[in-house]
Amino acid sequence: MAEPVRLRLVLPRVARAELIAGDAMDDLGRRISFPRDTLAEVKLAVVEACLNALEYSAGEVAVELTAHGDDAQPWIEVVVTDHGPGFDPSGVSRPVLEAKLHAPRKRGWGLELIRRLMDDVTITSRPGLTTVHMIRRTGGE
Amino acid sequence: MDTFELTLVAQEGQTAVLEVAGYINNEGGEVIAREARKLLDSGCRNLLFDLRATRIINSIGISLLLEVLERTLEVKGTLAFCSLTPSIAKTFQIMGLAQYARIFPDRPAALDELTAAR
Repeated sequence: MAEPVRLRLVLPRVARAELIAGDAMDDLGRRISFPRDTLAEVKLAVVEACLNALEYSAGEVAVELTAHGDDAQPWIEVVVTDHGPGFDPSGVSRPVLEAKLHAPRKRGWGLELIRRLMDDVTITSRPGLTTVHMIRRTGGE
Repeated sequence: MDTFELTLVAQEGQTAVLEVAGYINNEGGEVIAREARKLLDSGCRNLLFDLRATRIINSIGISLLLEVLERTLEVKGTLAFCSLTPSIAKTFQIMGLAQYARIFPDRPAALDELTAAR
């Protein structure tokens, strides 16, 4: 039985750092023949989780990508960790387009995209440590 | 392709067609917002963005597209997109964008409708 393909990254503080993780995800997913369109959704979720981590923490942002290709149904696991101030995930309201259209601040879509693009999302957060754990299976929505 | 590029490829009457290539993030989104503002201020009312060469739009890019949408609605214009990848189509569907913007499978279909409407 083949071992999962795993990659650990520490994101540099450079422009488009989130794409480094996204592109790595793309590469890993292709290695297990993850469906291209599903993989594009996973890539966006990775980019969003990294963007949040980079924006809200000053320290190290670590990303662990794992492609499980040996199961009957291949799946992908992503863990993004930062050491920022933390937040209460249950306190983040879901964005509503109509309200955003008339609001001065139109941001706030990242977490919603992550939750809707991935099958399972678990966020644990306290001051100094936030972890976003995400799973996507091939047969997901 | 991740290098961002925005090209105004056609402008006829009140309709402008813009091709977008690459990653739409804060920088790309700001370029789009700036160009859209210029076109709307000059009297253009239909903006069609062809996303055939765009693979990913992040949430900051999305927020800047919403600025364009808000401004377009203010002038009673139409914001339209065509040639979306499946993941961008899903992103727009999650946002509920089709309530306010037009989404077309390709450029000819979009232009048929946008130019016939005015």
